[in-house]
Order: sequence, then structure tokens, then C-alpha cells
Amino acid sequence: MSSARKSNMIVEHLRRAQMKELLAERKRLDGRGLTESRPIKIETNVIKKANGSALVTLGNTQVIAGVKVETDEPYEELPDKGLLICNAEVLPLASAYAEPGPPDEDAIELARVVDRGIRESEMIDLKKLVLIEGQKVYAVFVDVGVLNVDGNLFDATSYAVVSALLTAKLPKLEVKDGKIVDTGKLMPAPIKTVPVSVTMVRIGDTIIADPTSEEEACMDARVTMTTDADGHVCAVQKGGTGTFTVEQIHHVVETAISKGEEIRPIIKKVTESG
Amino acid sequence: MKVLGKLINEQGIRTDGRRVDELRPIKIEVGVLKNADGSSYIEFGKNKIVVAVYGPKEVHPKHMALPDRSVLRCRYHMSPFSVEERKNPAPSRREIEISKVTREALEPALMLDDYPRTAIDVYIEVLQADGGSRCAGITAASVALADAGVNMKDLVASCAAGKVDDTIVLDINDEEDKEGQADMPLALLPNLNQITLMQMDGILAKDEYKKCLDTAIEGCKKVYQLQKEALMKKYFGTEIEVGNLA
Amino acid sequence: MQEIKRKYVVPGDLITDDNVRPVSNVIKIGDKIYATRIGIAEVATDGVKVIPLSGIYFPRVGDLVIGKVIDHSAMAWELDINSCFSGHLPAQDVFGKEFSPSREDLTSRLRTGDLIACKIAAFDRSRDPLLTVADKDLGKIPKGEVVRISPTRVPRLIGKRGSMIQTIEQSTGCKIIIGQNGITVVSGASTDGILLAVKAIKMVEEEAHTANLTQRVKDMLQSSIGESIGQIDQ
Repeated sequence: MSSARKSNMIVEHLRRAQMKELLAERKRLDGRGLTESRPIKIETNVIKKANGSALVTLGNTQVIAGVKVETDEPYEELPDKGLLICNAEVLPLASAYAEPGPPDEDAIELARVVDRGIRESEMIDLKKLVLIEGQKVYAVFVDVGVLNVDGNLFDATSYAVVSALLTAKLPKLEVKDGKIVDTGKLMPAPIKTVPVSVTMVRIGDTIIADPTSEEEACMDARVTMTTDADGHVCAVQKGGTGTFTVEQIHHVVETAISKGEEIRPIIKKVTESG
Repeated sequence: MKVLGKLINEQGIRTDGRRVDELRPIKIEVGVLKNADGSSYIEFGKNKIVVAVYGPKEVHPKHMALPDRSVLRCRYHMSPFSVEERKNPAPSRREIEISKVTREALEPALMLDDYPRTAIDVYIEVLQADGGSRCAGITAASVALADAGVNMKDLVASCAAGKVDDTIVLDINDEEDKEGQADMPLALLPNLNQITLMQMDGILAKDEYKKCLDTAIEGCKKVYQLQKEALMKKYFGTEIEVGNLA
Repeated sequence: MQEIKRKYVVPGDLITDDNVRPVSNVIKIGDKIYATRIGIAEVATDGVKVIPLSGIYFPRVGDLVIGKVIDHSAMAWELDINSCFSGHLPAQDVFGKEFSPSREDLTSRLRTGDLIACKIAAFDRSRDPLLTVADKDLGKIPKGEVVRISPTRVPRLIGKRGSMIQTIEQSTGCKIIIGQNGITVVSGASTDGILLAVKAIKMVEEEAHTANLTQRVKDMLQSSIGESIGQIDQ
């Protein structure tokens, strides 16, 4: 679509009406059930120069994540923890509405929400990424580029970051005579759990999971919830200018936990092929 | 840094097993991104690059529009994980220069007069870089522009040649780029035989320069065949004859 | 009937050097004619053209297009017509010559998100296309399923003298409005009919470059209808 200059997609009334009719029958435009996700495809190790990488396709949304490892000083208040830094960019390739330039508030929110899900769940045991406490630690960078937007960037980005970290090979560094030495060997990242992000939107009174761009353009409000392997909720972000009732949030929690259990094996499968 | 005899052995084989006139393996796919008006993906040796074209489209802000033609804008960008040492996502001076020469390499092929008061945006994202990424980017961008249906006089095929161990070689890789004696990226309109990109760094005597130029042009022509094949495959599948269009 | 030679081409391909007249999507340099688009080159004695298989919709006066209202000023609506330019529909075209912005509000007739069938009344290199709904069968589209195809496939979807689109409409019992800009709207009484029509439209888009398409679409429609009749009998 070449002439749209509006910052958001405008969905035709005909499509909106169709969407609402179907939602009343608990169906969606693409035939999915209310809490059904689109097919999730994950390819890992796609960028050999990176320590880890993953290309995730969620319906038509496509996202690539790359892990690069450096060493650096730890944060002053966390001298016994390695560093984990997540960045995300909605590349101008991804949509007619994406402009080149530094990340805007949506892209920054995307990166920080995904980061929170990884960090709060303690997916990576940062205590195992320390070389000299208070002085030198591993710094694990995960950079994400969104290649094609069709809704639910939060989950696609999270799955890409998690998959890239699960299959990453970090250089095994050692401290010899106060200096950092590369042993030449590789090691996996120290993984404690696999967090799964689940995003839902409310359209009228109906809550649907894994929204497409069209569904997001018609939403009243959105919520992203990340759960760990124990079924605990570890990160939440509500988005959009609409509201949720308490009952709706209870429903969201149930859905996030059950969908987390459903999707976790799909993500964990990437570790089999490495 | 000149290291004689290290990059090409006595049998004329280079560090990656190629002969001096051999291209690295190239794979081109067309129409890989759903939202873009045109797109392509290329693997050129270890380079992995995806390109999206949006346009022709309205120009914003309106005062940037030209009354009689379209404005071509190119962005060459490297992903932070695309190189050995993580690269800061902000555009570097190198990326800005490559964006400019890329635009100047593509523009001669495009019939921009056909689309007054519009813009055509070309976004080149390098997912993995390995010597010659600008040539791979231009090659893929030309394919993406054809996929977008922008009127073009010709495709733009791009390839580099260089001098390594006192020998002119085709399509230099990362190591040859760093340790070699000269590097000449080139882009060509293959049917009209016109050069649209030419850069060189290194030292070349006059006849070496001419040989390097010829070698790069031969490389561009080989790249062009692959561009054509990729476009034909996407649009016409295995069909060869057109047949009755009823 | 003159003989037409056809060939699949990509930009830059030499089509002929016979000094023939260039018609569309080609460029003549000296005696040589090159393709400027991906598509099917047709060489006839009176000219050479390329039928493009990709590309955005470029407005032409007289075309029927389907646009989506995306904005409005006090005097006109702005429509996304799936092109490199927005279309402008003046308020007077809908309200009449006596329209006055102080008396009447545009949103009372057409609002953002409405789909409108309109014609391109005027367009040239110096300004955006001017639209009109002042004709039979034009105006707001109240219902139907929207199917987007590449604008380059529209001629094939319509077919010679409308043969392809009539085949689809008759077999499925649907009415299909086709915009030259690649937006189509399918409406009909039966959901199955609509789904089948959408399937046929997508089939034409996918195979527009192949031979004997009309027959294959007919066969597909017949066998799908046959299946559903078979199911009812059981």
C-alpha cells in the first residue's frame, strides 16, 4: 500500500463489521479460534557471525534476533551479575508505516517489555556470567530487527530472543593472572527457565490472543504477559488507550499460563537441532 | 599490507578454495517480504542481505517532492550482529557513504520521470556481512525494484574485482579485502553496458586498472544471469513458452 | 488477425531490433526495443508492448477504482486508492453545487473507513487524481468481502469482453465490483458462493501469466460446485 501517510493503518468499516460479526460467534477473520496462535516457525543459527541467532515467523510477522557477546564492567549496584542488553528496531523494511531513524516510543517499549520478560523470569543466570566480580563480566547483547509487521511484535520478538539465547554459543573465557583469556572453547548460555510471552487484545467484550495488524488496528486495549516454566507470571505490560475489567484480567492470566504451556515445547524444540 | 603468496597458492587457488576468476556462491530470492511493494534476499558468499522497496509513493513532507520526477532514497544499514564486533545500530559514516553510492548506482537504471511528485524508498539490511556487501546490496536492490514494478531501462548488476598477491582476481572475500592490494567494487547496466558504480582503494598500475575493470565487468555479467533467473523463477515458474492467453 | 509473438521478459531484455513502434512499458534506443518491466512482451506488426506482472496502480482518467476514505478537510475527502497518490473527492460531488462547509458536515455522508466505488475524473502530472461518484453504480459500498489483488492482474480477472468475471459471477451467484486499482468487493447471498468467488479471484491472480486460464477457472468452479452438490445429496 503506497499512498498511506497515516501513522496507523485504517481498517475499512466493511472489514471491521465482518470482524465484529465473527467475534460474536467466537471466530476470527482468518478462521482461528479466540486464543489460537498463528503457526510459529523458528529457525536458529541463521547468522553464523553471531554467537546465536533466530529467525521467527509468526503468521506474516517476521523477526530476526542476533546475540553478540563482549566483556565489560558490571553495573555498580550489581557487581556479581553479568550484563544482558536487549535492543529492538522495527526496520523500515517491515511496513509502509515504519520510518528509518532511531527507535520511537513503540520500538523502545517493545525492547523493554521483551527484556523484562527475559530478565524477571531469570532465564539467564547472570551470576554465572561473571569473570572478575565488580570488574569484568560477560555482556550479552541481543539485537532484534523486525522484518515484516503483521501484528504481535511482542511475542514474535520474545520468541526470537529466547530462541537465539537458547542456542547461543558463548566463548569460554577464563581469568589467568588477572587477565581475561579466551580458552578457544565454546559454552552455552547458563539457562534457568524458558519464558513465554503471550499477547492478547480486547475488541469490544472479546479477548483474542496473537492479534494480526488488522486486529490490533481495531483493538481497544492490549496486554502482554510472560510466564516461566513453573507457570508463574513474571512480566506484564498493558498497552493502548482502552481499559480492562478485573474479570478480563483474570481471564488473561489463565490464558497466558495455559498458552505458555502450549508454546514452551515449540520453543524448547530449537535446542534439539542446536 | 602486502603479503605475497599467502592469499593465492601455487595452483592458483585462493584461501576459500576458488580460482582467480570464480565468483562466490550466490543465491537470490524474490518477493520475500509481504508488506513491501518489492523485495529480495541475497546470499553472496557469506553475505546475507534482505532488501525492501516501497514506492512509488507519496512524499512526506510534501515540499521534498520534485514536480517532474520521483525522488529515490536509499538506506544501506548493517544489523548490529552482522559483523565480528557488534556494531552500534546508529548509522555510521561508512553506511551513509554506501547509501549514497548505492542510490547513485541504481538511479541511472530507473525511469524516475514516469512518477512525478513521488518517492521510491530502497531499504538494504545487511544481516551478515562478508566483503562485497555493497555489491550484493545493489544486486539485490535492483531485483527488488523490478519486483516492485518500477519502470527500469535495465537491471543493475554489481560485483567487485581486486588485486591480491599481484594478481587480478574476481569477487574478493573478507580476508582478501583486508590483506589484498586493491579492491574495486563496480555496478553495471548489463544490456546497455554502462557503469553506474565504481570505487577503488589500493594501488593499481594503468594496465592493472584496465584488467581489474574488465574482470569486474565480467563478474557483473555473471551476476546479471542469476538476477534474471531469480526473477523468471518467481514470476514465470517453470514456464518457458507463453502460450494462448485466453 | 495479426500474428502476435509473445515472450516472458524482465527489465532490460531486448525484445526486438526491428524498428517497431513502442507502445507501453518498453523503451526504444536506436532501433532496439527493451522491456522496462517484468511481464509478457507482445510483438505485433503495429507495435511492441509489455503486459506487466508487477507494479503499483498508476491513475488513469476514466478508471473505476475502489478507494478508502482516510481523511477529510472542510471541502473534500481524501481517499487511499492503492496508488502512489491519494484521490480527492470534492464535497460538491456528493452534496451538489450548493454545498457550503458552514451548513453541512462531510462526515454526515462519508466517513473515514468507508469504501467508495468512484471514477477518476481528472489526473495529470501536476496534481493528485480528482475523483467522482456522480455516476450509476458509484458511491459508498455498503457490504461485501474485500479482496486485494495486484492491479496488474485486473485485466485478466475481467477477461476478454468480461468473459472471466462473468464466469465467476454466474457460477457463484455473486456480484463482484472490480477496481482497476486492484481492490475488489464480492457480495452475494451464500457464504459458500462468496468463498468460492474469492478462491477463483485468487487463482486468477496467481496464474495470470499462464495459458488457458479461463478454462481452468471454469473447471475449478464446476468441480467445487459439483462437490458441494454431492454433499447435499448425501
